[in-house]
Amino acid sequence: MEFSLLTRACAGGLLALVLAAGAQAKPIAFANGTTIMAEYGAGTMEEAQAFYAPFYWLSLGGGYLRLDSDAQHRTRDIDYLRANYLVKRWNLDDAQANIFAWGGLGGARGSDFRGNTLDREAGFQADYETRRIYASLMSDLHESRAYSHRIDTLQLGFAPYAHDYADLAAWFVVQGRAYTGALHHGTEWAGLIRLFKGGAWIEAGLTAQGKPQVMAMFNF
Amino acid sequence: MYKCIFFAGASFFCASALQAGTIEMDVNGLVCAFCAQGIEKTLRGFPATDGVVVSLEKKLVALATKPGQDIDDDALRKALTNAGYTVKAIRREQETLDEVRARVQARP
Repeated sequence: MEFSLLTRACAGGLLALVLAAGAQAKPIAFANGTTIMAEYGAGTMEEAQAFYAPFYWLSLGGGYLRLDSDAQHRTRDIDYLRANYLVKRWNLDDAQANIFAWGGLGGARGSDFRGNTLDREAGFQADYETRRIYASLMSDLHESRAYSHRIDTLQLGFAPYAHDYADLAAWFVVQGRAYTGALHHGTEWAGLIRLFKGGAWIEAGLTAQGKPQVMAMFNF
Repeated sequence: MYKCIFFAGASFFCASALQAGTIEMDVNGLVCAFCAQGIEKTLRGFPATDGVVVSLEKKLVALATKPGQDIDDDALRKALTNAGYTVKAIRREQETLDEVRARVQARP
């Protein structure tokens, strides 16, 4: 199933590139900027983050991640400190593409192990966006002595109109999310509506199972 | 003596008038509001900045400086590069920032 998602992710990303080649939450918004974000993900994951970027290629901060497994009702709570790094950016005439990588350390508690354990995190995000089309693939790995799991997220977005800075930007986004480590079975698909203006961003939608997903982010 | 004072005054007036225009920059990678927000924040960090207009549609960043002040091209290019964007061109225009804003917001 993981291979299946990866295959779909690559196909989707390539399709978006071919089609034209937006907007997704980037790990680094802009230099000297602060980003706060909170997400409720269909009852399977909740996450809150705060980052400050001293440079356009680096942000430092921390977050909290809670995972609720549909397998044996396991839960996992992770507090982490993380550094995000812009590996490569392509500034094109009508598009921008980025590759980000990150790593961090934290503490984790879970219903299937005792006490606190050291959590190690690593991940990457590749994205491509124009003012009408958006594609991103993100993979986030957490490991400890008690578990190893990865969350892979694919997003493909389409904007019905090209927004400008002063406009309200609207996007329709299809998201696929898969968990390894026996947290969840299958790929969780969701349809989202994303709105942002200035430094405020909100998106909301439903998974294929009808569960809500909401995310809010502010940059300043 | 009066001629000297007149020409000095006229020169000062002309220089101020020239600097009352805007600096326009063509920028690659401008695709989202967060890009614009970051660039605006960066440029407003210059003490000489009077106002900033960013157009995603035109891929344009326009900056007006305070009367009698200027920001050289190298400093602007460095600021936008350090903000993560690619500057294609910088030019000085005689339009006011309001005129630039009206021009870039005009729908075709």
